[in-house]
Order: sequence, then structure tokens, then C-alpha cells
Amino acid sequence: MSSSLRRFLITRFLMTIPMVLIMVSMVFFIMRVLPGDPIRSQLGPKVSEEQADRIRERLGLNDPLPVQYFNYLIDMATLDFGNALTRGERPIKDELGERLPATIELTIPAMLFTSLFGIGMGAFAAKNRKKFIDYSIRVFSVFIYSIPIFFLGLVFQIIFGVRLNLLPLSGRMDSLILANFDSITNFYILDSILTRNWGALKSGALHLIMPSITLGLALTGVFIRLTRVNMIEMLKSDFITAGRARGIPENRLVFKHALRNTFIPIMTLIGLQMAILIAGAVLTETTFSWPGMGRYLVDRIALRDYTAVQSTIAVFAFFVAIISLLMDILYALVDPRIRY
Amino acid sequence: MNDHREILSEAVPEWQLELDKVGFFRRLLLSRKWFKGDWWFVLISGILLITIITIGIFPQWFAPHDPREEVGPSLLGPGEETPIFLLLIDQSSDATTFADIASVKNKIGYTVGSQSTQAMRNTIDRLNAQAEKEGIDIVYQPRGERFETVEEGLEAVSAGEVDGFISSEEELGEVIAQFDNLIVLEEMRSSKAKSFVLGTNQIGQDIFSRIIWGTRIALIVGLSSAVISFLIGVPLGLFSGFIGGRIDRLLTFFMDSLYTFPGLILAISIAAVLGAGIGNIILAIAVVYIPTYFRIVRGQTLTVKNELFVEAARSLGTKPIEIMTKYVFPNVLPSVVIIFSVNVADAILTEAGLSFIGLGLPPDTPDWGIDLARGQDYLRRAWWLITFPGSMVTLVTLAFSMLGESLSEILNPRLSEL
Repeated sequence: MSSSLRRFLITRFLMTIPMVLIMVSMVFFIMRVLPGDPIRSQLGPKVSEEQADRIRERLGLNDPLPVQYFNYLIDMATLDFGNALTRGERPIKDELGERLPATIELTIPAMLFTSLFGIGMGAFAAKNRKKFIDYSIRVFSVFIYSIPIFFLGLVFQIIFGVRLNLLPLSGRMDSLILANFDSITNFYILDSILTRNWGALKSGALHLIMPSITLGLALTGVFIRLTRVNMIEMLKSDFITAGRARGIPENRLVFKHALRNTFIPIMTLIGLQMAILIAGAVLTETTFSWPGMGRYLVDRIALRDYTAVQSTIAVFAFFVAIISLLMDILYALVDPRIRY
Repeated sequence: MNDHREILSEAVPEWQLELDKVGFFRRLLLSRKWFKGDWWFVLISGILLITIITIGIFPQWFAPHDPREEVGPSLLGPGEETPIFLLLIDQSSDATTFADIASVKNKIGYTVGSQSTQAMRNTIDRLNAQAEKEGIDIVYQPRGERFETVEEGLEAVSAGEVDGFISSEEELGEVIAQFDNLIVLEEMRSSKAKSFVLGTNQIGQDIFSRIIWGTRIALIVGLSSAVISFLIGVPLGLFSGFIGGRIDRLLTFFMDSLYTFPGLILAISIAAVLGAGIGNIILAIAVVYIPTYFRIVRGQTLTVKNELFVEAARSLGTKPIEIMTKYVFPNVLPSVVIIFSVNVADAILTEAGLSFIGLGLPPDTPDWGIDLARGQDYLRRAWWLITFPGSMVTLVTLAFSMLGESLSEILNPRLSEL
């Protein structure tokens, strides 16, 4: 490893710390400084003020704000999220540990689908720039971007779940199979392969199809645009002209030479598009009753479970920071020009 | 990055470069792109937007019913006629209209679980309203008599135990043939309207009226939150890019962190803490978009502030604030306009998403997201509950995104690919 690369990695890693700090502080600000009493609204009017006060005391909400902030930062740094306030009051770490794999299991196939479909279409549009097919692909990308992801999911549910009765409507697995299924890692697909439970694998895969394609399709709009724009610039560069002059077939030039170089800018942009992915995941999970992080967040907001909501949002912030760190590191490894 | 831009500019025809020299509005009008390639993009989005905004301002012109009122039977399909109910009486009865047998003393039979009661209640309401209008001091309120089967009910009418029996044709079916002594006194519908264009929802509200009124909410939320983020993000970006230095770095770092934070999650948490209400939703969505304006405006300010004309202005002793507003801002404006329309589209999507997951507006507001969330429970029975509000969100978002797309073609010929 060259010293400049090492320096980049260290600097980039150190920069993640203030970024996470700002995000986590933002969560604190939203949850505790903005008006609104989370404990009161969770307990409802029936519970007496003393009881509410006892809970506030227990959670440290009666301390002065700077003290609260300090304790909160320590809790976050040690990943100590405390217990949920509702539904069995389990430790939030355990709850999220069960749900994070579900979200990851949903997003990975979605990202794969998007990458193949979106980047392919974008490159194809760039190759046929200003032709009918280019306009059609662009209209498609604007259109798909404009469909609310949950509406797309609901339409799929009506078509494939209700009308054609091909795919299950919601959940991660048939409840009958799930009853006899012991999950090791909470990645159901992985677990069913590990335990050689083919029935569970089939059910899990079938349940995964609709949500992941919904999420993947919703993201393609952005990917098509990004690929197309970058490809058009790339196709104008000198090495492509040189390649063309040497008589390299156009398809090979576009899909091999140009596309490979386009991956780098696309990759950074993927890092920035994490927000769309996470927003999409929250809404997809809600639509398909997929028991992941997003669904958990929405459920707990409805129950006004203040500690659970706060921790889930903080974990999302961690997640984003880590992904963006990974993307940048990957970027630096691939492209030696990226250095501080 | 800069190299590419220069390569690109060579490919741009001379007339387009000249466009850069004229003002913003003149550029909009002069642009030949109106007549070339993308004119239909502009045309479609323009027509769509004018229609949508008209609907949003005057929903009462377009909506046939009150969006909150239960105007029809529940879950009636699009265009389906509201069911007709027949009021049967014995032929020996001397009643000629329903009003004759609708007093407090009269009894009207119906079968358990039939929707006919709703039709009857509707007709009675109308009779009472009419009586009140004419100043007649009568209260129509016949007593209902429940029967287990249609047959029992019809026998009771024949025997004179009840004055009439109300039932639909399907319910009567074959049974009616056995009672040739019965005649139809009146036909009743369970609603004033014969049918509903887009059907009704589970509590009998007219879907068409609801999505029309929903346009107003969506536009209010979308436009106001976009305006708020514009008003905060643009000056901050101008200021930060213009003065540079430590404050700039700090602001940029803060805005970048805010930008990386997933927007929907941010909006969800703010909305969850602030509670329901249109103002809170607008605020929650506005916060999300501030960094986008900030980044673009700051980036462009950095480029513009080193241009010759800014330097000239500075050497002439123009105040910094004037340089920012009169020299830098006009050059940033085209990109900001593009972001604004994309921002409105995004805000409308986010608003629908927030109400879909049950945050934001009071539950009975005619709002697309709320309608979609409610429709999800009736997925198997009523496709129209979801299809129409969803299509409306898509259409309005599409109109604003297309506007953004075409504006970027027109205003930024050189950047048109970005």
C-alpha cells in the first residue's frame, strides 16, 4: 500500500467521525430539543403525571440538556440503545439485530437488479443518443422516478398477488414454514441454504421477488440518468475516438471500454444515492409488511415508542456513514487519482 | 471535470452560446429548443401543470361531491350503478307514495344485513328535508322491522303485520314469484348520484372528489416546502460560497452531513416529533431539501465569483451584498429554477410517503397518501381505492419532473446532459 493511499484512508476514516457526530446530534436535536413531550404522548392522558415523571426520571429526560446530550453521545458511542418502551420492552440492540438482516436481504437483490437494468439501459440510451429509443428510455426514467414506490408495490400486489395469484402478498416467508424454521443469522435465504431447508428457500425466495423488484425498479430511474450522462461524456473522450479509429466494434467500445470507465463516477454517485435506497426500503417494507428496520421504525412511531425510534434513526445514520466511507475507500482503491 | 465541460461546449452551436448572454426570461423565450427536439416535453408538462394548478386552486369546480361526506354505498366500483331497492306493499294497501307509510306509526321490514336500510334512511332524510323546506310539521321516521329471510318478510307484508318491505332485486330472486299480491311502490337508491366515476371507498366517500381535493393539499405542501427550502438554502449557499474561509468550510460540512442523512428518515423523525398538521409536514419536508440548494448555489457561486465581471464590479467598489444579489445570483438562477421544480416533485412524493405511513395529516383529510394507506386494507376487493390516488400522485410528480427536465434543456444548453 502506497503511503498516499494510506494517508487517504486514514483521513477519510477520521472524517467519518465528525460526520456521524453531526448526524447523531441531529437526531438528538430532533428528538429532545424540538417541542413535544414523547413520554406524555406515548402514555396517553390516562396515566398520571407522577408515573410519567418516573419514566422520564428513569430515562434521564429530567436532566439538563447538556447532561442529556453527553449521556446520549456515550450511549451511541458504546452502541447502548437501552430498552424499547413498548411491546415487551426488549433491548433495542436485539430488536434491530433481528431486523437489519431483513433490510439487507431486501436491498441486495434490489441493488443488483437496479445495477444490471439501470446501467444497461443508461448505456444503451447513451449509445443511441437523440434517437427515438433514447427519448423513450429517458421518459421511462422520469416516469419511474415519479411513481411513489409504495404505489408501485401496491400495483404489483394487485396484479401478481391478487389477480394472477402468482406471488405471496407480504411477509418474508409462509407462516407455516416459518414456525418450524430456526434462523441462525436472520438472513432467511442464507439460513435456509445452510440448513438445507429447500421448502423454506423456495418460500423465502418467492416472498423476496416482489419487494426487491419494486425497490429495484424505483431506483432505476436515477441510475439510467446517471449512466446516460456519464456515458455521453465518456463517449466523447479521446480514448474512445482513438479506439474507434483503430476499428474496435462500436458495441464493444460502448459496453466494454466506455462502461468500465463510467463505473467510477457512477459508484460515487451510488454512495450519495443511499438516501433514496433507504427511503425506498422504508416504504417498501411498509407496503409488503417486510419485518425490517423501516417497518420497525414505522411501527414504533405509531406506538410512540420514543427510545426505539431514536435508536433506529441513529442506526440509519451509522449505516449511511459507513456505506459512504466504504464507497469512498473503494473509489480510492480503483482510481489512483483520488487522494487528499 | 472541467476538461469535459470544455469539450462539450465546442459541440454547442453558436446561437446557444449567445443565449447565455441575455437575461433569464429572455433566454426562456428566445431559446430555439422550444421548436426543436424537446418542445413536446415542455408542451406536455405545461398543459399538465396548468390543469393541475387549476384543479388545486378551484377543486370545488371539478369535484361533484364533498370529499368527506359519505355520499354512496361503500366500495362501489368505478361507473357501477348504485343498487336499486324496491319497496313492496300489499296491493290492498292505499298508500300511493313512500311518504304515506313513513310516519312514526308505520313499520317497514328488511332482512338482516341488507344494504336496503341505508337506501331507506337516505330516502327518509330526503323526505324530512323536503317537509322542512315546505314548512310541513311532519317527521318521517318509520320503525324498522328485522327479518331473517326475505320470505318471512314478504309473508309479514301479505299478512299486514308490516306496511312495507324493502329489498333489492337479487335478494328477492325467485321468492317474489310466490307473492303475486305484492306490488312495487317505489324504487330507492342508497345515494343521490346514480353512479360514481371512480367508485367509492369503504365508507362511501366519492373517490373522484377526494383525489380532486387531494390536489390542493399536495400542491400546498409541495410548493410551500419548496419555497421554504429555497429561501433558506439559496442565500446560505450564496453567502457561504462568496465569503469562503472557515465559515464556508463549517457550513459545507454541516450541509453535507444533512445531505447524506436519508431525507425521508429525517422528514419522518421531524414529523413524528412535531405531530400531525399541515404546517409541521411542510417544515419536515423543507428541512430535507435545504442542502441541495446550498450545494448547487455554493458550487456555482465559487465559479462565478472569479469571473472577470465580478472582479470588475469589486474593483469599482460595489458592496459585497450587491455583488451577491446583482452579479452572482442571476447567474445561479437557472440551476436553482431546475432544482425548484424537481424539489416540488420530490416534496409531493415525500408528503404522500409520510401520510402513507400514517404521519402527518389528520386521518380524514382528502389526501392521496392517506387514501392509499386506507386502500391497502381492501387490496383484494377494490383495486380502484389504490389505482386512482396513486395515479394522481404519479401524474402530478411527473408534471413537475418533466418541467425540470425540459427547463434544464432550455436554460442550460451546455449542461443539458446533467
